Amino acid sequence: MKVFIDPPNSLILFDIVERFGHEPLSAMAAIQERIDNLEIDMPPMNVTLDVVVTGLKYAGVEVPSGIRGRLALWGPMIEEADAAIIMREAPYSFGCVGCERSNEMIKYLINKRGIPQLNVVYPGTEEEAKDFVLNAKKFLEGLGK
Amino acid sequence: MSDERETRLLMISPKSMLTPDQLVRTIHAMNKDVRIKETCYGGLLEGTKDVVGEVLEEVRKKYRNEIFSKRRAYPAGDPRRCRAQHGTRPGYSQLEAEWDLLSNVQYGLECADRNEEIVPLTKKGKLSIIEFKNICEE
Repeated sequence: MKVFIDPPNSLILFDIVERFGHEPLSAMAAIQERIDNLEIDMPPMNVTLDVVVTGLKYAGVEVPSGIRGRLALWGPMIEEADAAIIMREAPYSFGCVGCERSNEMIKYLINKRGIPQLNVVYPGTEEEAKDFVLNAKKFLEGLGK
Repeated sequence: MSDERETRLLMISPKSMLTPDQLVRTIHAMNKDVRIKETCYGGLLEGTKDVVGEVLEEVRKKYRNEIFSKRRAYPAGDPRRCRAQHGTRPGYSQLEAEWDLLSNVQYGLECADRNEEIVPLTKKGKLSIIEFKNICEE
């Protein structure tokens, strides 16, 4: 199954999802597609007109352009996802989206789709990491193939 | 066989005794059609999707909870990202932040291997006024 990870560029979440037999939907795949097929130098900082239009599907025109740009990348992945894993209570600088409004919109879109989701704690200590891994394992094994 | 390029970032857990050099030599010894570049945190593995998948599977078998991996959008040694050519490396601080957490995650994975039970975490409560006052006075 396809599992969306939030933060979308997280090594830990990507590895855990893949380790337990699912396909992680990450920022890296979306950016690679733009580098290889569209030959854009610096996605998501460089965009095409199509990207701008895609962003408008997820956020209104009055929303700051940065949020729309980010959602143009993550939005289609959320639509494609069968489940999601979200890391909560992470430090502000953790992840690639240093914008709380974008993060909230991502959570809103996941909730709106109604797909199974798991909220995990930031593994700052060994006990938290144990809780994180065991919960993720239980969730991912319960998703089926 | 898929011809799609896949670049993987392999990161060694700080708890592991494995070195990037050992990891790269192990992958070379597999004699698969992939390119591997040694880095300070582990390595960059590049090849077609299927072959990279096979190599990853073997690496995970050998170093079960010590190696972590994720996809990388840019090819290995890409001038837009490579340090040797003064490329920008915007993802590096995130990698550093996650590297700090890998020993904890490794411990979690070892617990999962032992099929340990989930014990609910105690919630962090709010700081009492008396305690806060004591901290201020110290």
